Parts: sequence; C-alpha cells; structure tokens
Amino acid sequence: MKKKSKFDVFPYLLILPVVISSVVFNFGPFFKTIISSVTFTDIYGNWTGFAGDTFWSMMFKNDEFWMILWNTMKFALANFIGTFFMAMLLALLSVKRTKLGKVYQMLYALPVAIASAISSVIWKSFFSQNGILNSWLGTNTSWLVDVDKSFWIVTIVTVWCHIAGSYIYLLAGFRGVSEDIQEAAIVDGANGFVRAVKIMIPMASPQIFFVLFVNIVNAIKTFTQIKLLTGGGPAKSTTTIMYDVYVRAIELGEFEYACCLSIVLFVLIFLVTRIQFIFENKFVHYE
Amino acid sequence: MKKKEFAFDLVKILLGIALVLPIILAAFISFMPKADIMKIPFELNLNNATLENYIHSFTYMNLGNYLKNSFIMVGIELPCKAFTALLAAYAFSHFEFPGKNFLFTLLMTVMMIPGEVIIMSLYKMIMKWGLIDTYAGLTITSLVDVAAVFMLRQNMLSIPKSLYEAAKIDGCGRMKYFFSILIPLCKTVLAAYALRGFINIYNSYMWPLLVTTKDEMRTIQTGVAQLSWSSHSGLVLAAAMITSIIPLTVYFFGMDSIVEGMTAGAVKN
Repeated sequence: MKKKSKFDVFPYLLILPVVISSVVFNFGPFFKTIISSVTFTDIYGNWTGFAGDTFWSMMFKNDEFWMILWNTMKFALANFIGTFFMAMLLALLSVKRTKLGKVYQMLYALPVAIASAISSVIWKSFFSQNGILNSWLGTNTSWLVDVDKSFWIVTIVTVWCHIAGSYIYLLAGFRGVSEDIQEAAIVDGANGFVRAVKIMIPMASPQIFFVLFVNIVNAIKTFTQIKLLTGGGPAKSTTTIMYDVYVRAIELGEFEYACCLSIVLFVLIFLVTRIQFIFENKFVHYE
Repeated sequence: MKKKEFAFDLVKILLGIALVLPIILAAFISFMPKADIMKIPFELNLNNATLENYIHSFTYMNLGNYLKNSFIMVGIELPCKAFTALLAAYAFSHFEFPGKNFLFTLLMTVMMIPGEVIIMSLYKMIMKWGLIDTYAGLTITSLVDVAAVFMLRQNMLSIPKSLYEAAKIDGCGRMKYFFSILIPLCKTVLAAYALRGFINIYNSYMWPLLVTTKDEMRTIQTGVAQLSWSSHSGLVLAAAMITSIIPLTVYFFGMDSIVEGMTAGAVKN
C-alpha cells in the first residue's frame, strides 16, 4: 500500500547549508563561549577541567573590569549622542529636494564607503605625535597618548565613521513622509523648525528609533578604531569590553577570562536590543 | 527666494566638504613627496606633486598582493552568501514542511548573537583546525548570511504564488523554476545586496587580523593598517587612497541601490 503523502526531502536540502553553517559557526561557538567561561582550556580552546566561578569571580573582583565597563558606557553614550545628532541635522538639512541636493547628499553619505580601518589610519596620520597636525601647528601635543584627549579622538573618529550610515537611514525615513502632509503644514503657516519637530520627527519615528539604538550597539562593538588609534591606552583609558576581549584572548592568552567578557558583551547588547523592542512597541508611530 | 535657496545650498555643500575634509586632505598629502611632508612646519602645497608614494605602495610593499587576497575573500564569501540565502529563502517562501516555523525561528535567533561575541571561540576553532593563514580560514566562518535569507524570503513572498503554480503545470521542475524564473525576479534585491556585501567584506578588519599572521596572507585592510605603524604619512595615505578608491567607485555607481537595500530590511511595516 502506498502512503498518500510522501515525505518530501527537497525543502530540507535547500535549507541544509544555512542550518549547518549556523549550527557550526554561530550556535556552537556561542555555547563554547559560555562553557569555556567555567572551565580551564588549553591553547586550542579544548576543555581540560572544570573551573567553576574561578574566572567570573576573578573578573568581578578586578577593579580594571569595572573601569573598562564604565569606559564602555561612556564611549557608547558619547558616540550615540555625537552620531545621532549629527546624522539628524544632516538628514533634516537635506530633506527638501533642491537643485544642488545631489551634491551635498553625496558628500554627507560618502564616509559610508570608507573602511573603519582606513579612516583610523588617515586620522592617525594627522593626530600622531610626529603627525601632520603637530607639524602644522608647530606644537608637540600627544593627542593619542594623553588620558584626557585620546578618548575624545577615538570618539570623534568613531562618530565620523558612523554618521553617514545613520544619515542614509534617517533621510530615507524623512523622505517617506508624505508630501501632502508637509504641504498642508506649509499652508497652515508652519515654519521649517515647527515642521521638523511636529511632523517630520514623529512620522519618521521607526527610522529614528532604529538609528538611535543601532548606534549604541555599534559603539559597544567598536574595535578597529581603538586598536589602530590608541591600542586601548593610555593606562587602559580607551579600553572597552570589546577591546579587552581581544587583549585578553590574543595578547595575554587568557581565553577563559575573554569568554567571561564576551558574555558580558552579549548581555549588554541584548539589553539594548530589548529596550529598543520595548520602546518601539510603546512609542513608535506606524502608519 | 531662489537666491536664498541657492545660498543655503552652498552652505550645505560647505558643511559636506568640512565633513569629508580628512579624506580631501589625505588625498592631497598622498601626492606630496616625502621631503615636503616631513618639513616642519608642514605646508599643504602641490608644487612638487608626484606619484612616488603610489608607486612605492606597490614596489616597497605588497599592496598588489593584499588587494588580491581581499578580492579572493570577497570572491568566495559573497557568491556563497547569496546562493545559500537564495536556496533557503526558496524553501521558506514556496514550500510547506514539518518543522518549518521552528527552523525559521532558529535561524532568526542567529541574528541575536553578534559576531563580536563569538569571535574568539571561532578563532580558537580555526586555530584547532589548522586553518590560520589560509583562504579557508579567512572565509569559512562567513559563507552564510541569515539576514540575507530573511530579506530574500520577504522578496520571494511578494512574488505571486500563481506564477509558481503555472510553471508547475507547464512541466517546469522545482530546480528549473528556481534558476530560470525565481533568481531573475530577485535581481534588483540581489544587486543591492551584492554592492553592500562587497563593501562590507572588503572593508572588514577584525577577522582577517585574527586569522592571518604572514604578510603574504594579509588583506588590504590589515596590510595597510600594519603599514601605518612603520611608514611615513605620504606612503600610508597613498595606500589608504588606493584602498578606498574601489569601495568609493562602487558607492558612486550604486548609491541609490545601496540606499534601497539598507532601508528595505530595517523598517517594519
């Protein structure tokens, strides 16, 4: 007797590559990270024994960890404020389609194509001790090895790298606001500022929320700019959790400690995305 | 009124120039000879403009080889990402099968795990497999892009089901439909994805830094970054310009397409 509906293997074959890769290169390493934080490992990351909370308590008792966590928050906040307000300003400036619009739009969005490594290299050649800026001004300022200045230079470069991407999203959001509504507002006598605050910003709230939170996450994940500009220094003042993961795992060979930090990194990002989700459900206006 | 708008436009353009000033300055300086750059105080002039920095990038350092490695990396990753995503999106948009919702949710969970969180475990894995300094090690962990599956599935769901039914009645096989009808219909989305994917992979830094140690295996990003520790500004900036010219070209010609792609997946409806 023949079965009525035969089991069809075809769709499973179609998704097989994606599923295998996700299990091997995403879920697998994720669980390995969690387990490695409570075990001892050898140089290849093989488990050699149970460590319990050895590395966790080492991390939480380490004053340096709390300083680095504070650095991460400070860095995320500074980046988020800088990127968000710059991108917002540029996007609002270019909403109206004008004759020369293509020119300045292109300039505003251009840094999106420049790699973060290349941006860092360019800025470094200006700001390093024997760099162009010092030679130009005839000064000898240690922009990148001074505790007060280096944090802000790294922030400026990171913000510079992220403005363009956010600008593109925001502009798309503002352009999506229907022209009828804007014209009605103009007829009612609303000036540019009022239109921006009362119409454009509420109507483009999905994009605005997205950009707001994506910039916090991007700042938490920043690695390249820190590595190339300051190397986390001076005195760890520009080291964030992400950068410390690298230092511990690669430079100091403390893979287990790096795994604890990675989980902290995951929790931070997870919390930000949860808050984003809650805010979106509460405040975002969808047409 | 028109005059006022024009003046306002000029201000906006000036603001744009201020924003990209580092790139403009870097481009100028890359044409200055070493002696002029080293002069104190520094003076921006192109009186002795020269191509020597550009020539030295290729002769003194392996810029050509770095470029080759970057292109190989993009050449392996991008087609694999696009093709595996197309296959999976086809399954999730055109077929009903037990466990479909579970598997789809499972894949979407991948997007909750940022690559930065697992990067050290991945590195240890590549090390254990002996793939450090190989193209396999450089690319194997990112041959699949779950976000692309999601994006393409959305696109395929918008294609009328009747097309698939009609093709089936006409005797068109499932694979034939996929290759000769479905893929061409996804052309626009794929093009946007390819442009963005190219820039992302070409510009990646952290993973190539971890899995390559030999100079001849470096990609363009890690190679130029490495150079910046040891060479004079002119050479570094020339190398930076050569590196950037490719994504900038992609950006100039594909801007509208990239914008479309960037905004398509980001906004809920």
